[in-house]
Amino acid sequence: MFKYLFAKNEDIPAGAAAVFFGFSAIVWFIVGTGLGSFNAAKLAFPDFIYGVEMLAFGHMRQVHVLAVILGWISMAFAMAMMYITPALGNTKLWSEKLGVWNCFLWNVGLALGLFLLWMGVTSGREYSDLPWFIDLVVIFGVLFPLGLNVWMTIKTRRTQGIYTTNWFFGAATFMVMIVFLVGNSPEFFSLTGLTEAYLTWWFAHNVLGLWITPVAAAISYYIVPKVTGNPLYSHRIGHLHFWSVVVFYSTPAAHHLMSAPLPEWLKSFASVEGVLILVPAIAFVSNLLLTMTGKWKMFVENVEIKFTISGVLMAIPLNMQGGFQQTRAINWYIHGTGWIVAHAHLALLGFSTFLEAAAVYYGLQTLLRRKLYSLALANFHFWMLLIGFTTYWISMTIAGLIQGAGKIYEVPYIDVVIAEHPYMIARWVGGTMVFLGNCVWLFNMWKTARAGTVIPAGRLPHELAYER
Amino acid sequence: MAWKLDNPLHTMTSEDQNQKAVELWEAESLGGITEDNNRLPQPVLGLLVLTIITAFLITFPLWGQRPHAAMYEEYIQLMDSPEVKDLPDDKAMQFIVDKVKASNSKWSALQERHPLEMDDLRMIKDQVVELQKQGARLDEYTIVGNKVVIANFEGNFIDDKGTTRRERVQPWWDKGYTIDIVFILVFCVAVMIAVKRLPPFTFKPDHGKHH
Amino acid sequence: MAFREYKIGARMFGLAFGTSMFITLYMPAVDISNVSVTATGLHRQLSFGRMGGFGYEDMLLQGINKPVSVVIKTDPQSGAAIEPTRAYVYEAGVPFPNGLRHPRILGKGPEALSMSKGRISESSESNGAVFIVREVEQNGEMVPYIENATAVRGWAPSATLAKVSEADRYHVGKGKIMFVREGCWWCHTLLPEETQDWQYFGAPPMLGDFNGENPTAFGSDRKAPDLTHVGSRNSSREWMTLHFFNPRLVQPHSIMPRYDYLWGDVDANGNKINFKDWYASYDEYSAGKRVYPPEVPEPSKDSEARALIDFVLNLK
Repeated sequence: MFKYLFAKNEDIPAGAAAVFFGFSAIVWFIVGTGLGSFNAAKLAFPDFIYGVEMLAFGHMRQVHVLAVILGWISMAFAMAMMYITPALGNTKLWSEKLGVWNCFLWNVGLALGLFLLWMGVTSGREYSDLPWFIDLVVIFGVLFPLGLNVWMTIKTRRTQGIYTTNWFFGAATFMVMIVFLVGNSPEFFSLTGLTEAYLTWWFAHNVLGLWITPVAAAISYYIVPKVTGNPLYSHRIGHLHFWSVVVFYSTPAAHHLMSAPLPEWLKSFASVEGVLILVPAIAFVSNLLLTMTGKWKMFVENVEIKFTISGVLMAIPLNMQGGFQQTRAINWYIHGTGWIVAHAHLALLGFSTFLEAAAVYYGLQTLLRRKLYSLALANFHFWMLLIGFTTYWISMTIAGLIQGAGKIYEVPYIDVVIAEHPYMIARWVGGTMVFLGNCVWLFNMWKTARAGTVIPAGRLPHELAYER
Repeated sequence: MAWKLDNPLHTMTSEDQNQKAVELWEAESLGGITEDNNRLPQPVLGLLVLTIITAFLITFPLWGQRPHAAMYEEYIQLMDSPEVKDLPDDKAMQFIVDKVKASNSKWSALQERHPLEMDDLRMIKDQVVELQKQGARLDEYTIVGNKVVIANFEGNFIDDKGTTRRERVQPWWDKGYTIDIVFILVFCVAVMIAVKRLPPFTFKPDHGKHH
Repeated sequence: MAFREYKIGARMFGLAFGTSMFITLYMPAVDISNVSVTATGLHRQLSFGRMGGFGYEDMLLQGINKPVSVVIKTDPQSGAAIEPTRAYVYEAGVPFPNGLRHPRILGKGPEALSMSKGRISESSESNGAVFIVREVEQNGEMVPYIENATAVRGWAPSATLAKVSEADRYHVGKGKIMFVREGCWWCHTLLPEETQDWQYFGAPPMLGDFNGENPTAFGSDRKAPDLTHVGSRNSSREWMTLHFFNPRLVQPHSIMPRYDYLWGDVDANGNKINFKDWYASYDEYSAGKRVYPPEVPEPSKDSEARALIDFVLNLK
């Protein structure tokens, strides 16, 4: 990678930036899930490690969250953008060199930010924990170069049309910069009180809604038609999906503070809009599942489709929860409980991770022109993620319902802690499975790059999956 | 940019513009990907309409309401009645509950959800009576343990003795819902225009034509 | 917008996104900024100082450059005994909270009173000041304001601190930093819910209780009791000390981490704390080989543990 930092743009092989992003993403995924597993162990066994400030739960929890969001998920997005955007415009990436620098600065900036966070240098705001100078690095050193590359690649495309995926990529890279700029303004300008609290959740909501969800969906808009060979079911539903993301996903931020003394009109507005996130979700799921028509056997046979369609199917419970749990009728019961933790993992580790994993699997094979080293290991990875995640989700959902009941009936809190203990152990087991599966994944992809069968020109990797 | 408005639900574009779109649609392959022009399946459309209606219904403040002072007002009035005075606590409470229930109280649902005992009533009685004397709106006060305190809801603006203030209740309707309705209507119209400016859904692109 | 008309599409995108931002940012900001601060809000910001998280005055979150909350029993100027008064001592150079830097955020009534009666404009960070919270009746309502006691009563910061005994000092500002840095708020929320848990965790806050505070650190994932009013439920410094050192000394089923590392190297008497021995004795105790757990050292007066305990005890 380092030799390309100072090479001429035309000397850098096409796809280099995407490959670096792909491997960085997998490494950050291992770091993030490893930290998650470690943290979960502390919740299950509080005396697991003690006496060391740097290994205390309160110092590591936010590192887990941001390593996964800004390391794994966002870098996998960058990887997907670096190869899908040019592919859909029948062109090359606008600047491969910018992409390589982007990847380099991203890794350095994120490592620095997470190290500071680990030391305890935090803004004290959930999801926007990074101190403001690191936020500026993220905005101008990470997100802007990424956006610039995407926008310019779309601009220099060799087609008249822009495919749905690229609408989302172009819009989301723009929106996420606005979200970071506005969402961190309490730190830049030291805003206080409920304004600060509201903007914290405005950021947290929109980074999910205008970055992670639409980009993950956009990736599957590419993977499913590309791998199955079917045309996308409907261009029209794509419109409905895109516009409803912009309109309905950008508005419900206040529903994260339904139990805070915010103006009631804001909560009513946010809550109705919050249910309407089902509009993009319904459009997305129906469009993708109908695109699969006639190719459902690939759900079993093909690893990219297996990941993608699992992710799309998980969007159904995800949005049913997300839409309804924030309303006044339900929020009072589950707010602040493990139910929400389960829901957040359904969004990031279920829905979105499965879609990105498909993009990384598919991208690395096409860019390196090498077939997967081992399909069996890829399947093993899939099942480790799926079973590990499901264990986590079910145990945390149950724990959340226990907490909710404890809250409503005002049970002494320690009784809730005791009742939750078995589910804390299950959570740790599930998280550890995900971590181990990812270690296998890195091995598999590394061997693919080094020892995978070369794919002949004109063939696609999945066509050769079962050939020797 | 020609508009055709004689049959807006079919298409809102002129024939020649549709023809151009159709040609471009069939000619172009975007990185090997093609798109079809299917309509939104009608059951899914029904689901979307259901979603919008549900969104409003489920947002109204129906569940999870804390006990406020107003719902115990009738209980407190009955505490001093001669029938109750001589009864032991549990019987007296039962009597009060039954009597209020029979009178079709406005708050019967909340009363059922937040039952209390005679001792609880005694603790809040004086405070509620005091508030009544001041002419306060009792539904703005919440019971916290043995205290009656003002609730922290930031409701609609109301006129209170010449000054404007927020009422301390979760309102059934506020400007949030109104903005929602406008927002949804504008969205629906805009997306319908965007979609109906495409060639009609009866057009099925032939992807084998050019490549 | 017909098939592949991207110029119109881009404008529609701008319009849609802009409208969303107007409704979700501008409109709530106007509403929230029109709310006047409550007395609770004044006490909170004066005790926490400018920033409770990362800030230029305390880049590594060590709790430096923070105000000290004190209870004053004798007038530092005249030496006469007075009603015990909660005061906030800002020594020279300690940054003021946002309500003093930008009095506009206090809301109309408190702003005007703080300027006229409280004379806050006569205070400066470079000289330091002592502040107290006062209330007066206006139109039948109690309106709180900040009083610059240095200007109004002649209470100089250093003279005031000198008159206050160690037991009457609370390092709440430093403690808030510890609360944020150590991630207490990942499990303990600071927000009793509006429609729930009033009986157990106490009354939820009003909108004006937070003007001037950053971060509010409400927390979102309640794995442990809400702490907004914990000082009213449990005011025992001894219990807190044991609980922070090793929560399982007082609550065998607790899953809270041990915060013994906040004690530093020495205890209140200047003796070195031998953690190794302590852990060994505790392990014997939890294995049933000892009847009593080992003694928990008393935190020294400058330790981070003391500040955190001060913070928690002052959450009332």
